[in-house]
Amino acid sequence: MAEEIQYKGYKVADVAKGKADWYMFTDLCKGCGLCMVKCPKKCLKWSKEVGLYQTPCVEPDPELCIGCGTCAMVCPDSAIKVVKK
Amino acid sequence: MITTLDVKPDLAKAQNAAAGASKFCPGCGHGMILKTLAKTIDELELNERAVFGCDIGCSLLSWNYMNLDTVQTHHGRTTPVIYGVTRANPGTVGIAYMGDGGGLAIGAQHLVNAATRSENLLVIVANNTNYGMTGGQMSPTTMPGQKTETTPYGRDCEVTGRPAKAAELVASIADPNKSYVARASVSNLRKLNTVFKKALKNVADGGYSFVEVLSVCPLNWRTNNEGTWERLKTMEECFEVKEFLVKEGLE
Repeated sequence: MAEEIQYKGYKVADVAKGKADWYMFTDLCKGCGLCMVKCPKKCLKWSKEVGLYQTPCVEPDPELCIGCGTCAMVCPDSAIKVVKK
Repeated sequence: MITTLDVKPDLAKAQNAAAGASKFCPGCGHGMILKTLAKTIDELELNERAVFGCDIGCSLLSWNYMNLDTVQTHHGRTTPVIYGVTRANPGTVGIAYMGDGGGLAIGAQHLVNAATRSENLLVIVANNTNYGMTGGQMSPTTMPGQKTETTPYGRDCEVTGRPAKAAELVASIADPNKSYVARASVSNLRKLNTVFKKALKNVADGGYSFVEVLSVCPLNWRTNNEGTWERLKTMEECFEVKEFLVKEGLE
């Protein structure tokens, strides 16, 4: 483990009324969409950005997202991270 | 817009971050099971003691998934290889990870004998009701009426018999004084975490644990994201999700 691994992705800032930040790692997302079904608010939709296999990633609607982290837990490739502020 | 992020993904210490994205197909259940297993190993601080063995089939793609000593063997032989390790080095927490094809069809003899003798290891069987790596053929656990590559009209139990139920099988032959046998599902990863925690604690104390995990295979099932979770629900009706055998005093 010589050098630090750099991850690419995008950030959806201030979801859940500004209580959390939502991150997507596009190097890891394979676009399976399992998180979209598991989301309790059904607020995830396909993004314009593409992931590892050039398939669309997901992004949450910042108004509807409650920052619960279910998507991050269910993601088989740990491509989602929710940081509570 | 995609930029270089200053945060890191939530990877457990027992997971190999240097390997990058896992080798599994999009939406594969193995990712969810192994991620939960790695998290549980972190929580119980077994990183130095654990040895991970993977089997033939899709489960072999986990050969560099874990940041643990790993060995890969053939067709259910993961079970004897790992209990060989735990016999030679007492105190090692051996984990044998396999699919339903390796564990219940070709390697069933090892599973049965290890369960009868209640060897000191944790056996995890990921059940996705088909042979994933070879293209989705019928496996021992294919549900009645399920369409696969080799049962295009649905599995006919008159011809091919009933599906194998691994957890019931193992629970009936394992030693009740030192065993933990359960079936879990990837639909509830928090529950899966508690099941793995009990199983690993039992193995760390010298017992035998068996966990069958109902998994998903979107590519061979030919389901979209909603269809995958729907199919998993029908699997949970066919295979009962519960603890079958819990050693007395295990929490």
